[in-house]
Amino acid sequence: MKAAAKGSKPYRAKASKLERKNYKWIYLFLLPTVIIFLMFYFVPIIQVFLTSFTQWDGFTTPKFNGLTNYINMFKTSGFIYALRNLLYWCIVGMFLHVGFGVLTAFVLFQKPRGWKLTRAVFMIPNVISAAAWAMIYRFFFNDEMGILNSIIRLINPNFHVRWFYQSPWAFWAVTITWLFYAVIVTLLVLGDLMNIPAELNEAAKIDGATGWQLIRHIQLPLCRGSIGTSVIATLTARISMYEQISLTTQGGPGDDTMSLSILLVKGVTDYRYGYANAVGVLMFVIGLIILGVVNKAFRMNDSDY
Amino acid sequence: MAQTKKVLTKVLLYFVEIFVIVISIFPILWVIACSFKTNGEILSSPLALPTSLSFEPYLHLFQEYNFPTYFLNSILAAGISTFVSLFFFAMSGYVLAKFSFPGRGLVFALFTVTLLVPGHSRTQPIFSLIMNLNLYDSIWGVTVVYLSAGLAMSIFVLRSGFMAIPKSLDEAAGLEGAGFFRTFWSINLPLAKSALSTAGILMFLGNWNEYYFASLLTITDTQRTLPIALAFFTSEFAYNYTQLFAALTVVILPGIIIYAFAQEQVQASVVSSGVKG
Repeated sequence: MKAAAKGSKPYRAKASKLERKNYKWIYLFLLPTVIIFLMFYFVPIIQVFLTSFTQWDGFTTPKFNGLTNYINMFKTSGFIYALRNLLYWCIVGMFLHVGFGVLTAFVLFQKPRGWKLTRAVFMIPNVISAAAWAMIYRFFFNDEMGILNSIIRLINPNFHVRWFYQSPWAFWAVTITWLFYAVIVTLLVLGDLMNIPAELNEAAKIDGATGWQLIRHIQLPLCRGSIGTSVIATLTARISMYEQISLTTQGGPGDDTMSLSILLVKGVTDYRYGYANAVGVLMFVIGLIILGVVNKAFRMNDSDY
Repeated sequence: MAQTKKVLTKVLLYFVEIFVIVISIFPILWVIACSFKTNGEILSSPLALPTSLSFEPYLHLFQEYNFPTYFLNSILAAGISTFVSLFFFAMSGYVLAKFSFPGRGLVFALFTVTLLVPGHSRTQPIFSLIMNLNLYDSIWGVTVVYLSAGLAMSIFVLRSGFMAIPKSLDEAAGLEGAGFFRTFWSINLPLAKSALSTAGILMFLGNWNEYYFASLLTITDTQRTLPIALAFFTSEFAYNYTQLFAALTVVILPGIIIYAFAQEQVQASVVSSGVKG
C-alpha cells in the first residue's frame, strides 16, 4: 500500500496531456467500485461506530447513551463465555490449527508419493459451504446414526455421548469442525518454502546441517511471513465464526459455545441495534489488535532476501 | 540408526498424508453413501454400505420440495453478483494497474483495507440498508449484498493481472484509434483472462456457499438459497435422514465440481489473497 502511494506521486507532477484527458474515464471506471465500497464498507463502519454509543431500535432516531451498550454487553449472560471461548479458540487455532497446517506444508514439501493429490483433496472442505460442513459434522457426531459413536460402540456397546449437546464435549465438538482444516495455512507456507533459493538449502547442507537443523534454522524462519499471515487469517476467522456454532449448538449447552457473532445476531434480530453494533465494534477492535500484535511478533514487514 | 530414522520419517510423511485425505473426504463420502441407504439402514447399521443405488430421494427433492427454486435462487444470487462485480472490479483493477492519477494510492489503500474488517461487524447497517431498499426477504437483496463480497481479494488479483499486460499494447491500440473503453474491452480484458477467472471463481464459490447474510435477509421459503434451505430442511425433516443426506449432497456437489475443473485457479487465488471468500 505504501509503495503504491509513493509510486503515484512522481507521475502526478508530470501527467501528460493525454493522461489528463483520460481522467474522466479513469474516475468513471473507479466509480462503481467506489460506490460499492461506500455503501457496504465505509458508511456501515462509520454507522456501526457512531450508533454503538446510542440506544436505537432501527425505527426511532438513535438516542445517545454513552457507554451503556458496552456496559450492558459485559453484563449479558454469555458475553464472558463468548470472550473466554474466543480466547481458547485463538490459542487452539494458533498452535494446533496453524501448527497442523505448517506440519502438512513441510510434509508435502518433501514431495512424498501422492503429495499433489493430498494438496488437492485438502482443499475440498474449503470449497464447500461452511453451513453444509457444520451440518455434516452434526450428523457425524449424532449419537443415534453418527459414524463416530457407531465406531466407538464396536468396542464399547453401551457408549452414548451427545457430543454437541453435552458439557464439556460441545466446545470440543465445535472446535473439531474446523481444527484440522488448515489448507490455507498449508498452501501459503508451501508457497514460501518453494520460494527459498535452492542455493540456500545446498549451502546449509554443505555446512553439515541435518534435516532437522535445516528446518529449524533455515526453512522455518524464512516462512515466518506466511505463518504470520496464516495466524492472522486463522484468528480473524475465529472472531467471525458463525455457521459452525449456529447450526450445531447455537451457543449451548448453557453458554458453553457462545460467541460474539451469536450475540451480535441476537442483538440485530431483537432490534437492539446500538447493542449489536457495540459487539461489532468490539470484533473490529479485537481484529485490529490481533493484526498489530502478529505483525510485530513475526516481523512481517522485514524482507529476507 | 540412520536407516531407522529414514523409515520413521517416511512413516510420518505418509501418516500425515493419509490423515489429511481421510479427514477431507471421508465425511463427504459418508454423506453420499447415506443418501443411498434407507432410513432403517442408516439407523440400524450405520457402518454398512448402501445395499442398492436408488436416486429416488434426489428426485423427491426436486419434485416434492422447492429445491428447483432454491437451486435457481443460488445460481441467480451467486451468478449475477459475481458477473456484475467482476466487471466493476476489473474496471477498477485496470485503472489502478495502468494509470497514474490523483488519489490512486488512497483508493487502492481503502479498497485493500476492507480485508481487515470482520464481515459480521457490518451486519446491522447492511441489514438496515437492504430494509430501506425494500429488498428484505428477496433474493435480490441477497444478490446486492454479494456484490460487495471479495472486493479486496479481487482488486488484488485483477490489478496484478492487468499489470502483467505490456503497456506497449495499449499504445499500439491508441495509435490505431481505439478509445479508452475499446482498449480496455478488446485488448486488456481478453488478455487478463486468467486473473478474471481466478477472481471470478473464488467470488462465485464464496457467494454460492454464503450462509450468514442470506439467513438474515430472507424469511420466505421461495427466496431461500440452497444453504439456507438446507438448514431449514434439517430442522423440519429431522427424521427423514435419507432425504437429508440427499439434500446435503445436492448442496455440496456443485462446489466440488467447480473445484475439480478449476483447481489451479482456486489454489492460486487462496495463495494470492490469504483468506477465504
